[in-house]
Amino acid sequence: MAAAAPPLGPAAALRRVLRYAAPFRARFAVKLALLLASIGPLVLLPWPGKIVIDHVIESVPLDPAAYPFFLRPALAPLAGAAPGEILLWTVVAQLVLLVVVGGFGASFREQDTADAYLAGGHDTQTRTENEANAGFSLSGGLLGWLDFRWTMRLTQDLNHHYRTSLFERVHQLPMTAFDDERIGDAVYRVMIDTPSITTACHRILLTPVGSTAMIAAAAFAMAVSAQSRPELMFAALAMIPVALLASLPLATSMRRRSHASRAAGAVTTSTAEEGLAQVLAVQSMGAGAQQRAHFDRDSWSSFGAYRAVVRTSMAAFLLGFVPGSIVVGWALMHAAGLVITGELTRGHFLVIFTYFVQASIAAVSLGALWFDLQGAAAGLERVFFLMDQPAERDADGARPFPGLRGGLRFESVGYRYPDGTRALDGVSFEARVGTLSAVVGPAGSGKTTLAHLAARFLEPSEGRVLLDGEDARRWTRDSLQARISYVFQETFLFDGTVAENLRLGAPDASDERLWRALDEARATEFVSRLPQGLATRVGRGGSQLSVGQRQRLAIARALVRESDVLILDEPTSALDPETETALVESLHAAGRERLVLVIAHRLSTIRSAHQILFLGDGRLVERGTHDELMARPEGAYRRFVELQAIGA
Amino acid sequence: MASTQDGAIAAGDVGADRLSARDVLRVLVRCVRILGSARWHLVGLCAGFAALALALLPPSLLFLDLFWTRALQGEPLPAIQAWLLRLDPAVAVNVGALSEDVRQSVALRTVLAGVAIAAVATPLVFALFYYQIWILQRVNQALRVDLMDRLQSLSLRFHSEARVGDALYRLTQDSAMVTQLVDVVLLAPLYAVGGFLFAIAITTAIDPRFTLLLLAALIPALALGRSFSTPMRRDFRRAREANAALTAQIQEVVSGIRVLKAYGAERAAQARFAAASRGAFDAAFRARHRFAVYAILLFLSVGAVLVAATAWGAFEAREQATLFAARLFAATGVVAWSLGVFQFFKDRFGDGTNSVRRLFRTWARVQDVAVGLDRVLEVLDREPEVRDAAGARALAGVRSGLVFRGVGFRYRPDRPALETADFAVPVGAITAVVGPTGAGKSTLLALALRLFDPDRGAVEIDGQDLRGIAVESLRRHVAIALQENLLFGTTIRENIRYAVPHANDAAVRAAAEVACADEFIARLPLGYDTPLGERGAKLSTGQRQRLSIARAVLKDAPILLLDEPTASLDVDTERRVLANLAAWGKERAILIVTHRLSTVRQADRIAVLAAGRVVEVGTHDELVAREGGAYRRLVATETRGARPGAAI
Repeated sequence: MAAAAPPLGPAAALRRVLRYAAPFRARFAVKLALLLASIGPLVLLPWPGKIVIDHVIESVPLDPAAYPFFLRPALAPLAGAAPGEILLWTVVAQLVLLVVVGGFGASFREQDTADAYLAGGHDTQTRTENEANAGFSLSGGLLGWLDFRWTMRLTQDLNHHYRTSLFERVHQLPMTAFDDERIGDAVYRVMIDTPSITTACHRILLTPVGSTAMIAAAAFAMAVSAQSRPELMFAALAMIPVALLASLPLATSMRRRSHASRAAGAVTTSTAEEGLAQVLAVQSMGAGAQQRAHFDRDSWSSFGAYRAVVRTSMAAFLLGFVPGSIVVGWALMHAAGLVITGELTRGHFLVIFTYFVQASIAAVSLGALWFDLQGAAAGLERVFFLMDQPAERDADGARPFPGLRGGLRFESVGYRYPDGTRALDGVSFEARVGTLSAVVGPAGSGKTTLAHLAARFLEPSEGRVLLDGEDARRWTRDSLQARISYVFQETFLFDGTVAENLRLGAPDASDERLWRALDEARATEFVSRLPQGLATRVGRGGSQLSVGQRQRLAIARALVRESDVLILDEPTSALDPETETALVESLHAAGRERLVLVIAHRLSTIRSAHQILFLGDGRLVERGTHDELMARPEGAYRRFVELQAIGA
Repeated sequence: MASTQDGAIAAGDVGADRLSARDVLRVLVRCVRILGSARWHLVGLCAGFAALALALLPPSLLFLDLFWTRALQGEPLPAIQAWLLRLDPAVAVNVGALSEDVRQSVALRTVLAGVAIAAVATPLVFALFYYQIWILQRVNQALRVDLMDRLQSLSLRFHSEARVGDALYRLTQDSAMVTQLVDVVLLAPLYAVGGFLFAIAITTAIDPRFTLLLLAALIPALALGRSFSTPMRRDFRRAREANAALTAQIQEVVSGIRVLKAYGAERAAQARFAAASRGAFDAAFRARHRFAVYAILLFLSVGAVLVAATAWGAFEAREQATLFAARLFAATGVVAWSLGVFQFFKDRFGDGTNSVRRLFRTWARVQDVAVGLDRVLEVLDREPEVRDAAGARALAGVRSGLVFRGVGFRYRPDRPALETADFAVPVGAITAVVGPTGAGKSTLLALALRLFDPDRGAVEIDGQDLRGIAVESLRRHVAIALQENLLFGTTIRENIRYAVPHANDAAVRAAAEVACADEFIARLPLGYDTPLGERGAKLSTGQRQRLSIARAVLKDAPILLLDEPTASLDVDTERRVLANLAAWGKERAILIVTHRLSTVRQADRIAVLAAGRVVEVGTHDELVAREGGAYRRLVATETRGARPGAAI
């Protein structure tokens, strides 16, 4: 990346993620309502079993007054009813509960929770698929189904929203941003790191409410169904500080290690991606063993980084285990003491202790919330890093470019790379519409930089680039680049048909327009010989075509666009002389209504240019027509040409 | 599942369910063999878990007995328990009932002992889990590396049509499913089937009619499994394919980001990405939603059976009906239904229904695991086009050179690349192949490296058909500088010694000097340690070209292939590079593919290729003298382009 974003603390990252959740707040509110709705029925679940035992098996007459207030209306008609009748209605109630909330008793065998977690592997990357599609509920049945559906759609929509925004940001980065960055890393950030946003949202928004409600429900259930022993609830609450204090010291380590695990996964992806994308290089150099060794090393170190995350989680658990078991041990002792002294029946002991355990689990998830957020925080940092890269932005008040009528002028233009290397210094020249200018010079003299500045892929560090007399920065970048066609030195075709590649910059171009451009680029002959003509797939990176064919398609792609400026960076390097000569004629024809700038080594291309810009070491050394420059006895261009003659 | 030939991927089977239920099992069984490499670790792990379970069984039984029977109910302790708890037998053993004080101290000591045992056991359990993760990661790593190996050895024909992102998805996400095998194939069914059989035995003893009811729970489960597994498999596959396609899209867009931006095609790319991202989420939603609904229905059906069994059991308990196998229970003094029998029955029957639910839930997850592994096998089963023949020999050295004997080749039946090529590339000379773009020049080099095998004729080294030579040994004896300068995202030094990782710095520098690369590397601030960005994006094309040549030179192979090595070099550098190569290559066979006459002229022998045929072979002077010759025409064209005398 060109410039590093300022480091973002985990707290700031999490505050920011809440802003991200804001557009979804109504849907989160519904999710919270569903969460609370599914905690309610949990209070009902122990009762059917008790009613069956007491009033069916033991034949104790049913007295609604002995039951909590919320059951009384339902039980009133059964007061003094025959056991058979009570059993029948209990079964009906259980079946209704089963259908509505997927639970009908206190045991785990009698309860269901809706989710759709699928298998993952033992590394960060393969565990995100569940995160990206997280759907869950505390209940089953109809309510669980609704809750699950709602949650999963919410998760996915949030992820989709931020995944596409992150991807958009990738486009908005300056063209040079990816020179230093590996492609696999971008893939990893978009696919694997973005679900951290949703995970963080779920934890921050749902855990506090859900856990508090769970504790309240347990306390309430204890109060209505057995004896209320508030001290046990306070003991459960003590698990909050226990979990907090045990996990806090390891939170930073957890975040660092999660970060390292993600970074190692990204490196593995990059290594695999490079090896596969450049399989031609690997195979032809016989470097399969090296590539295998690289991948082996990177992949294993990413597994190792994940194990470090596991170790930290385990350490945090063990740290909390000692004080946690003291609390649980005390609660167990205390409740047992109450049984021994006769204050509590053995049946109530079990019920009360179950509520204590439920409340404790909720308390632990509250206390460990900060720790649990760290894995997501690491992902967030990686997402925000990319989002916060400076994007290309138009100057205030920039206007759409109306089209070039006059010409292009460089006014003492200089360019320095971010690392301070000077690429271009004090270059001034003018080029008019209807002319062809050739940029010539030895390797490393700044030719491509000059072309990038002309196309506004780069902004000058000094001086100005003027279009029709106005600073190029006065126009919006999109509208300006829409009028410029650029042919890169290294041809890149997308895996698609010939026609799709040609229409890249002009989606609406007709087939006739495509054929005309192919004609001008001297590509008609080979395209018409392809099995499906324009509809032939070119393969990954155009690999089913020869390099020279790809080069001509790239030129045709530039010509399909109705542009005012055509810039070509060594467009003919892979072409045979015959094709090249014909192509240069085409370029001259195309240049009648356009401004053409062409970087070239070959004399055959250069000779006929209206002006030659000869660069040396980042400076414009000479400028003029071929004949003018050849007339200078000691001229740099003349020496350059004479060298060619000797070479040949 | 039949092995597929290395070639184009059939596009027609997208989203098709290519597995039957039997295939799912076959895939799993095949993959269990992959676990073989870790079998001793797995045995060790199981032994560890079994030992721990056995060691913990007595203390946990003891804990329950001490806590419930002794502390809470006040029964006197057996002598051994009193000794373990360090209690005076006078008050704890030889009494009718325990006093309140003794009960309190039994409770205290029991809980303390329990906490102590848990404090020892928990780290041990964690250690075993950690060991399990390590083992499964190793299995996963081996599969990843095998898959990478296979991908690297598949032909360029395969890679031309396959998508990089899809392969990345197979490498990570799909291969991770191998870590689930132990769980889904071994443990989960073992537990579930074991639990079910145990429940059957118990219920039969109580009342065989309940056994029939429990078996009846299988009917809806089987019906659900039958009707859901095919659509689930289809959906899981679609979800994997959609996510793989999305990964591919990101990779492709980021690879071609410069072209997209220059052609203003970002918005279209963004729209395509958004559609693909939405499509991937929708596919995941359909698959997971179906799975969740299946799980809910599954619980509804087994839950209803459990409700019925519980009610029926309650009825029997009320009637105190005689147990079926009363004699079996006689020892315990239980011969008829009671509250205790009811509770016991309810839990065991619940275990039975719960086992059914677990087994069928696992079956659903298995569909996804199998689809993932099937996607891995799809690649592993693809045989490389170029393989060592039986009895392939290693190349000991090259004495006379390389010969193309009547070679014909087509990439695809409808796209001929080479018709007949007959010429020799002798040791001690530079042979140049010239011809128009698309004539098949690069194909010749691909055949010399055995990236493909010719359809007709043969390529030979020292009279030996390449098909009889081990591929790895052949590629060690042939070095190539590719037309597209494929560099990797590492330092210049690592790029030069990519194929020879152990080359020392002096060798790297010497190779760079031959390629005239040392001069520009020396000027870089970090010299040979300069990191190159993705695909070497920071260097100019001419600089990258020289690195490619240096890389080939460093390999020190007896045969050197150069594909348009000078296309992006200025004339002066070109001349020097060729002079260096001629001096360096005195004892080697050098084949240069080019269309630059300035390069051709420095060759000792020239082969002219036109429309897939070698039409002329000879020296420059011989060929120029040939009236109406193809080479003579080529020379004339280039000369016409430039001023006579200036170039050729």
